[in-house]
Amino acid sequence: MHGRLKVRTTEEQQLLKRKEQQKKLMAYRLGMKQILESRKQDTYDPKSLAICAQLLMVNPDIYTLWNYRKEVVLLELKADNDESEQLANFLENELKLTEQCLLANPKSYGSWHHRYWVLARHPNSNWQNEFDLCSKYLTMDERNFHCWDYRRLVLNKIGITLGDELKFSTNRININFSNYSSWHYRSTLQALTADCVQDELSLVKSALFTDPMDSSAWFYLRWLLSNSVVTHDHMRDLLDNLNQLLELEPECKWILVAKCWLLKNLQMDEGSYKTEQIASYSKLQEIDSMREGQYVDYLKLLQLD
Amino acid sequence: MAIPIKDIKLPEDSPKELLLDKHVEFIKRYGKSDDDYEFGMSDYLRMSGMYWGLTALELVDKLHILPENDVIDFIKRCQDPETGGISACIDHDPHLLYTLSAVQILCMYDRLDAVDASAVVNYVTSLQLPDGSFTGDKWGEVDTRFSFCAVATLALLNRLDAIDVEKAVSFVESCKNFDEGFGSRPFSESHAGMVYCCLGFLSITGRLDIVDRDTLAWWLCERQLPSGGLNGRPEKLPDVCYSWWVLSSLTMLGRLHWISAPALKRFILACQDVETGGFSDRPGDVADPYHTVFGFAALSLLGFDSIKPVNPTFCMPQHVIDKLKIKHQLL
Repeated sequence: MHGRLKVRTTEEQQLLKRKEQQKKLMAYRLGMKQILESRKQDTYDPKSLAICAQLLMVNPDIYTLWNYRKEVVLLELKADNDESEQLANFLENELKLTEQCLLANPKSYGSWHHRYWVLARHPNSNWQNEFDLCSKYLTMDERNFHCWDYRRLVLNKIGITLGDELKFSTNRININFSNYSSWHYRSTLQALTADCVQDELSLVKSALFTDPMDSSAWFYLRWLLSNSVVTHDHMRDLLDNLNQLLELEPECKWILVAKCWLLKNLQMDEGSYKTEQIASYSKLQEIDSMREGQYVDYLKLLQLD
Repeated sequence: MAIPIKDIKLPEDSPKELLLDKHVEFIKRYGKSDDDYEFGMSDYLRMSGMYWGLTALELVDKLHILPENDVIDFIKRCQDPETGGISACIDHDPHLLYTLSAVQILCMYDRLDAVDASAVVNYVTSLQLPDGSFTGDKWGEVDTRFSFCAVATLALLNRLDAIDVEKAVSFVESCKNFDEGFGSRPFSESHAGMVYCCLGFLSITGRLDIVDRDTLAWWLCERQLPSGGLNGRPEKLPDVCYSWWVLSSLTMLGRLHWISAPALKRFILACQDVETGGFSDRPGDVADPYHTVFGFAALSLLGFDSIKPVNPTFCMPQHVIDKLKIKHQLL
């Protein structure tokens, strides 16, 4: 049970709650029984299908019920060869159900999968509608990874290019620098090349200077720096920037960590950076003591050199 | 626009000692409570629920307090004669998640003979797609969690040869992200739960070399928040289950010492329910067997004397893995 607060109740309230729960449990068991008994290969019982929808709206994680629905969808699709209105209505109903389930529980794997599964078999699937739905859910929770994954699936169907998405991601990052999901998404949209790397570094820099305490952009920076298209000039430039930022925020661990990456990369041809790295890691040991073990490991490596 | 770190404050009166007996009672009671609402409504994940409860008990040497024969009999009845897969519960459909849970339980009891093991192997094999990925069941959902379930099940049955391991590895590798973490599918954001599954997968297949160890370990150790608890993604709240996903991952990478053990211990102990027993996700929330086993397992990795050593790859007692001589890689 995630995030469910334990509430203190009186004995009377508890009794009442237990009664209520017994009723619900009984209804659940009766419903399951009816559905499983009516589950056959060649036909289905509409009443059971309706009960199934009710149970899923209460708990969309009951995977066997989604399986049952898929069997029914396949029966409907098989029975209908000429794309009739009845079939359209039936499939529309399935989509509505998943939407209701997702509103109640936007992180239900079963609901997302059922939705995509139905649409993939739909004779006239409206992918634009799916794209809009994604945008709506992302506004509600911009970290919902199911939704980001779904967005990526839908893109291809409506001809949105990765270039369009890059603009979308720049927008989102500019609205909120600390959205890790947007940075992740961005990393999947383009290969880093000599042409784009300057823009990427600038975007990261503006995020770092806006709020150096926020972690997201630092992870993106580490990734950029691991790529061979980042030159020593880029790195020296960035090191200057970080030193300026450090004067404003001398206790910010992220700046020190990133400084050490740069110093390590640059010391290949310029030997004088070791003392500065040792100083930074020693300071990190102090201000970020939870991760002391990591800094001690790096200090040991430096002393071995 | 400085955003405060998302975290919680541990209540001052939080428990500071391990309430072992209470937890044992909690698990025992949970398994017997057929009329209980939470229990009754969670039959769709019963097999995993049993794995959580029984593993927790075995980690504190109390497996014998529940009747072994009932458990084995239940598992037998959950194997689907048609596909060989195992379901969460009688009358539910077979699925890889519950197939693994069942096999894990059988290994703990040393009773793999109770099911048709070659049918299980066939079931797992039937779920591999041409790109190397695995679906959870015949309905086609792909996820790296299922890649883990597949190889863990086969490794426990000593039948890794039954699938195309090389392709399975290349699919998992295609789910690796810019931060060296893993998501549920290619291009999906990294998530500590999937990081555990993918590292567990690579540990079993002996391919931990495909990750940049220190970059991923950095992402993982940054999951520790000032409260001492670990979150599953940046800017999320801490949760006891991530104590396990993150800690076991760090252990597989040989970087357990990159987080503060005393702070994490404090957080986990604070998530115990002093009245009912059991652990919850965060202090003050409702306890359940899921958070209880992962609380125990994390404390075991942190070296708690009263809990048996746990294996970081399989989340099973180490002595079970040793006895079965299951090969796996740790850095």
